[in-house]
Amino acid sequence: MIPHKKISVLLFVVLMITTVSCSKKTLPTSEVNFLSGNDGTITMRAMGSGQKQEDAINDAEKNAFNVILFRGLPQSEQKIALIGTNESEEIEKNKQYFEKFYTQMRYKTFVMSSIPVSNFKKQNGGLKRLAIDIKINLVALRKDLEQNNIIRKFGF
Amino acid sequence: MKNKFLNYLVFIVTLCFTNITFSQNSVTNTGGLVTTVQPKIMVIPYTKDGEDLRTVLEEDPNKRIAITKIKEGFDSRGFTTVDFIAKLKAAKDNNAFTSDNQTDIKSQIIQMSGADVYVQAEVIVDKGGSGNSVKLILTGYEASTGNSLSNKVGESGKFYTDDFNKLASKAVESCVEDFLNVMQAKFTDIVNNGKSVIVDISFDAGSQYNMSSEIGSDGLPLSDQIEMWMEKNAFKNNYHIQGTTDLRMILDDVKIPLKDQTTGNNYNPNKFALELFKFFKGLGLQPAKDIKSNTIYITIK
Repeated sequence: MIPHKKISVLLFVVLMITTVSCSKKTLPTSEVNFLSGNDGTITMRAMGSGQKQEDAINDAEKNAFNVILFRGLPQSEQKIALIGTNESEEIEKNKQYFEKFYTQMRYKTFVMSSIPVSNFKKQNGGLKRLAIDIKINLVALRKDLEQNNIIRKFGF
Repeated sequence: MKNKFLNYLVFIVTLCFTNITFSQNSVTNTGGLVTTVQPKIMVIPYTKDGEDLRTVLEEDPNKRIAITKIKEGFDSRGFTTVDFIAKLKAAKDNNAFTSDNQTDIKSQIIQMSGADVYVQAEVIVDKGGSGNSVKLILTGYEASTGNSLSNKVGESGKFYTDDFNKLASKAVESCVEDFLNVMQAKFTDIVNNGKSVIVDISFDAGSQYNMSSEIGSDGLPLSDQIEMWMEKNAFKNNYHIQGTTDLRMILDDVKIPLKDQTTGNNYNPNKFALELFKFFKGLGLQPAKDIKSNTIYITIK
């Protein structure tokens, strides 16, 4: 005879597993598209998500920087990734720089403008998302990466 | 006792003398800091049939603007280029041009400038009923091997304007950053995988040897000895043999490091040629070496 308590625990565990398995996964995306760019600046439209609007804006800005640094943006003058495509290795190599850059939000010093262009709302029942148009000072960003020996200066 | 004192004195004086003689000049000593020798880059105009490289810039302001804008692009990356006009003037003053053939003139200017990389800019003016535009073809080459480093086509877009200078400027702006990014990717590859030199090995007219001469302690043919040496000494074992005949062997792409792997000092084709020279000496041959830019000529007597 199986006690009632044990059956309840078993049911609870099965329910939890089912809930977790069927829940919507939030995968990192690079929904960043080129809008325009000239004279050392680049303007992109980036998507971000978060609990609050501010979090979603920060997430979108980080996505935009991630694409420029580790993916490159087709149609723009920065088609090749500024640093390299192996982001985990690059971040590990320069932990201190990226700690400041992302966690302490140093990346904001390279943002010339960041304007939300969509409503902050739930999409497909997931997290709340919004789109921003972000303009980045590409020349200053490249110089900063060069000065901190993250990338090589032009030449050998 | 007196002898011992004398020995010490001789030792100290010898030590001081040796140090003074062989130490690096205090004026140039940087305390072990080594700055990588940067490539020399020159931007030159493209010339069509019937155009003269020496006068093409004077005749076409669009080309002058395009070239200046490209140089500006290099400057914005903190890189100084070799000035084509200044080199051209120097070549004219020194009567360096020995022929009127345009290909010769181009190679003479590149050789005289000492440029490792040259960027060729072709400006195409397009006039039409729906507006005027300027197209630009940018091509970067490694001077020694002719390897292509970067290629881009820029377009100004069509405008109802006769200001071709502005259109040329727009065409450069549309592609110069991308062009430099690709070139930098190639430079990084050179840093990681070495730069190319050409090695041309031949025999003096009166030489008793040829490529199939069995030579060295193991009695292997000379061409195989050379290949075995290249296997060991080319940077990351990266070399390419263009062809071997009995009287000649051309290695059209041998990678050498930018820095000496043991000392960390700058490494160059001269140093590689010296190693090659020592190798031939070690085989009991009498080699002569000649180095022109990134091409090493070895002649076996």
